[in-house]
Amino acid sequence: MSAPIWDELAELALKRIIASGAEYGDIRILDSRTQTIRGEDRRIASIRESQDRGFGIRVLYHGAWGFAASSVLSLEEAPRVAELAIEIAKGSASLASERVKLADEPVHRDRVVTAQRIDPFAVALERKTALLLETMEYVHRQPGIVRSSASLWARQDRKLFVSTEGSRLEFDLLALSGDFDATAVHDGRFASRSFNTPHLRMGYELIEDANFLAEAPRIASQAVEKVKAPTTEPGLYDLILDPEHLSLTMHESCGHPSELDRTLGYEANYAGTSFLTTDKRGTFRYGSPHVSLVADNCEPETLAATGYDDDGVACQKWDIVRDGIFIGYCTNREVAPKVGESRSRGSNRADSWGSVPIVRIANIGLEPGVATLDELLADVKRGIYIEGHGSYSIDQRRYNFQFGGDAFWMIENGKRTHMVRDVVYHGITPEFWSSCDGVADRSHRRRYGFITCGKGQPAQSGWMTHAASHARFRNVNVIGGQAGL
Amino acid sequence: MSTTGHKTWPKLTSREEFRFLADLVLKHSTGDHTLLSLHDQQSGTTRFANNQVIQNVDTRRGSLNVTVAFGRRHGTAGTTDFTAGSVQETVARAVQIAHLSPDDPEYLSPVEPRQYVTSPTTRAETVVAGPARRLEYANEAIGQCRMENLGAAGIVSSSVATVGVAASTGLFAHEERTDARFSLTVQAGEATGWGASAHRSIDHLRVQERTLTAIDKAKRGLEVRELPPGRYTVILEPAAVAGLWSSLLWMLDAKSYEKGMSAFSGKLGQPIVDKRLTLRNLPAHEDLLGIGFTTDGLPTVASDWISEGRLAQLAYDRFTAKARGIDRIPTLDAPCLSGGGSSLPTLQELIKGTERAILVTNFWYIRTVNPTDLTLTGMTRDGTFLVENGIIVSAVKNFRFHESPLRVFNRIEAFTSPTEAITSETGKLLVPAMTLRDFNFSSVTRF
Repeated sequence: MSAPIWDELAELALKRIIASGAEYGDIRILDSRTQTIRGEDRRIASIRESQDRGFGIRVLYHGAWGFAASSVLSLEEAPRVAELAIEIAKGSASLASERVKLADEPVHRDRVVTAQRIDPFAVALERKTALLLETMEYVHRQPGIVRSSASLWARQDRKLFVSTEGSRLEFDLLALSGDFDATAVHDGRFASRSFNTPHLRMGYELIEDANFLAEAPRIASQAVEKVKAPTTEPGLYDLILDPEHLSLTMHESCGHPSELDRTLGYEANYAGTSFLTTDKRGTFRYGSPHVSLVADNCEPETLAATGYDDDGVACQKWDIVRDGIFIGYCTNREVAPKVGESRSRGSNRADSWGSVPIVRIANIGLEPGVATLDELLADVKRGIYIEGHGSYSIDQRRYNFQFGGDAFWMIENGKRTHMVRDVVYHGITPEFWSSCDGVADRSHRRRYGFITCGKGQPAQSGWMTHAASHARFRNVNVIGGQAGL
Repeated sequence: MSTTGHKTWPKLTSREEFRFLADLVLKHSTGDHTLLSLHDQQSGTTRFANNQVIQNVDTRRGSLNVTVAFGRRHGTAGTTDFTAGSVQETVARAVQIAHLSPDDPEYLSPVEPRQYVTSPTTRAETVVAGPARRLEYANEAIGQCRMENLGAAGIVSSSVATVGVAASTGLFAHEERTDARFSLTVQAGEATGWGASAHRSIDHLRVQERTLTAIDKAKRGLEVRELPPGRYTVILEPAAVAGLWSSLLWMLDAKSYEKGMSAFSGKLGQPIVDKRLTLRNLPAHEDLLGIGFTTDGLPTVASDWISEGRLAQLAYDRFTAKARGIDRIPTLDAPCLSGGGSSLPTLQELIKGTERAILVTNFWYIRTVNPTDLTLTGMTRDGTFLVENGIIVSAVKNFRFHESPLRVFNRIEAFTSPTEAITSETGKLLVPAMTLRDFNFSSVTRF
C-alpha cells in the first residue's frame, strides 16, 4: 500500500506543525498513476502513462491557513515544506479578521480500496489499442463520416492522509472511462455524435461491459443523420432529457449553486457566487414537487465516494433539494460552522497533492419518479428528446443558463420521431426546475460523472458523479443554435 | 548557466542539470528516437475573499516526460521523481509502451537542433518573490477596499519555472519563465467590479491602479437598471474583446480546416474581419507572455495571423505542416491585435464619443454554440453599464449574448490602441477596446 517512507515523512511534518503552536495540520501524500490512450482518425495518436508523486501540508495557525507542497518525496524535503506551510499560515494570520474554526469530526483510522474485477493497468496495451482501432474502423464504415476519435483513461491514486488530530487514512482508488465519437460533414456543415462511458470507480469491466463495437455503428449512423437533420424552429417545447444530458444540467444549475463556499463569496473572483443564499435554506422553491436532488457520497463506484474527503471527514448522504424545496449545501469543516452546522458534509477535495482542498460538488443525483419513459413520452404533443452533452453556458450566480446536447429527436403526439439539429434551450434555474412534471422510475437511472469540473485559483479539476432517470420539462424556451443566430 | 537565484530549495532544474538528465535518458533509451521534456516549477498563490486570506499556497512540482519511438511506434511515460532510478524506470516504461504500440502513420521523429532567439521570459524580481511579496499585494488591495467599506476577493500569484526539451537528434532547449498575476473582484452589495493584470515581472502588476478601477466599477453598480434584450451598440473593454478573440484563435486548427470542419474552411487569404484589424504573434514583446520554444522544441516566431482583415495563417501540427511543405511552423504564444488607421488613445475617449451603448467590462463562460459560423454565447460580468451622450449613466443587469466574432468584428465603429487583456478564461493578449454596432444580447439575467 503506502510506501515505507510515507509514515516517517508524515511524522516529521506533523511534529513541526505541532511544535509551531498551530491548532491544526494535515499531510496528504499521493502517488497517482494515469494511463491515457488516444486514437484519432483510425490511428493511435498517443499512449501516455505518468506517475505523479508528491505531498501537500496544510496548517491552520491562529485561525488562518497555510499550504505548501512538493514533488520531492524525501525526508529532507518534508520539514522544509512543513516550515514553509507554517510561515505562510502565519502570514495569512496577520491579515485575518475572522478566525477559521473547524467543525468537529471524529478521529478516523481506515483504509479504502476501490473494488474491481479487472485491474485496468494489468490489461495488455495491445488489447486496448486494438479495441480503439476497431471502434474507429467501425465508425468510418459509415458513409459520410470524415473524422473519428476514441480514448481510454485510467487512474490509480494511492494516498495517505494523516492529521494532527490523529486521523490516519489510506486510500487505493481507481477511476476509469472510455469514449469515442464520429463526425460527419454534409452540405458545408459538420456534426459530431459521442459515446461516453461514465467515469466510475471500478475496474476494466466498465469498458468491456460498454461494448464499443456494438455501439459504434449506431453512433456513426446517428452522426450522419444528425448533420442532415432539419434545424429546429425556435419556440416553446416540452423537453425529455436523458440521464447523461441531465448530469450536466444538474451539475451546473444545482451542483455549483449548492457549494457553500460560493455562497459565502470564496469564489467571487473566479467561479462565481450563488443564487442559493443562506436565507433561502429550507424555504426556497427550487423546483417542482417532482424534484428531489440528493447528494450521496456513499454510493459505491461513484467518483466522490472515496470513504473520506480531504478534510478526513467520512462521506455522507444528504438532501440538497427535497420535493422542490432547497434544503442543504455541500460543505467542508471550515464553512459548515458558518451556517450553524455542527458537522461538515465531507465535500472537501483537492485534485492532487499539490492543491489545497476546496469545497466540491458532491455526487448529486435526481431521485427517480414513478413513470416509465414511454409514459413520459406519451403525454408530449410537441417536444424534443435530448441525449448527451453539447454546448453549455451559465451565469456566475447560476441563474441564466443555456444547454445544447449531443443528439435531438422530435417528439410528436407521444412518439419520438426524427432527429433534428441545432437545439439549444435557455432558462432561469428555478423556473426550469419548476417546470419538471415527471421523472422516470429507478429502472431508467444511469450515472455519469465529471473529472474536469473547474473551480479554484489556481484552477483545480473536481470529480463527481450525477445519477438520474429521464425527466420531462414543460414549455422550455428552445432558442435554436443555427448559424447566424 | 542557470539564472535561477531564488531562495527555494531544492532549486529548480538548471540547464546543466537538465543536460545531465537528458544524457541519462538518452543513454538508457533503446529507441530509434527519444524526446524528453522538462517542466519544473515553484508557484504560489495568495487568495483572498471577504477581505481576508482564504488560501495561501506554495507548490514545487517538477515533471519529466519521455517519448520513445521505434520506427513509427511510440510511447510516452512521465514522472515527478527525478532520482536516477525513477528516471530509468520512466525510460523503460516509455520503451515498453512504444514496443507495444501500433504504427502511427502521422508520427514524426523529433526535430533537428535549432537556434533559439533569447526571449525575455524571466524577470529576477518575480524569481525571488515569495509568500511575503504576494501577501503585501493582497494586503494593498484589501486595504483599499476596506477603506471604501467594500469587499475584496482575488488572487496574487507568482511562479518561476525551468522548461526544457531535448532529443536524440541533438535538439536541446532550456529556459526559465516567470509569471505573475493579480486579479480582483470588488463587491458592493449586489454589485461587482473587476480588474486583472499579468506580467513576467511582479513589479508590473499595477495592483493599486487595478484595484481602484475595480472599486470604481463596483460603486457605479449600486443602482442597476434592467434593459430588454436586443441589438445594442457595445463598447467592449480589452478583456471582453480578448474573450471573443480567444475563441476565434482556438478554431484555427489546420487539420480541421482541411477536413471542412472549421468556420474558416476555404477562407485562407480571404477577408474574415474588418480590414483595419491585424493580428500578430510577438514572442519578444515585453508585455506579453511569449516563450522561446514549443513543447516540440520548435522556436517561437513572430508572424502575421490576420493581416488587414484577411486570414493569413493556420495553426499547424507538425504532420499537417510537413504534408503542406511548411518548414517554419507559426506559433501563437504572444498575440497582439491592432487596428490600422486612426485609433483613440483611451477607453475614456471611446466612451466620450458614444451617443448610446452598453459598456462591457468582461465576458464569462464563453462557449461555441455553432462551430460552422463560430456563433458563441456567454454572459457579461463584473461591470456592465449604459453609456449615454458620452458618460456612464447607470449599471445594467447582465446580458447573455449570441454573436460570432466573424460577424461582430466586421461592425467596428472605433477602437483604441492595443492594451493588456487578461481574463480567468484566456491567456494574455494585447487588444484594443472597441465600439461595435448591433451586438446581439439575447436575454437578461436577474442581477
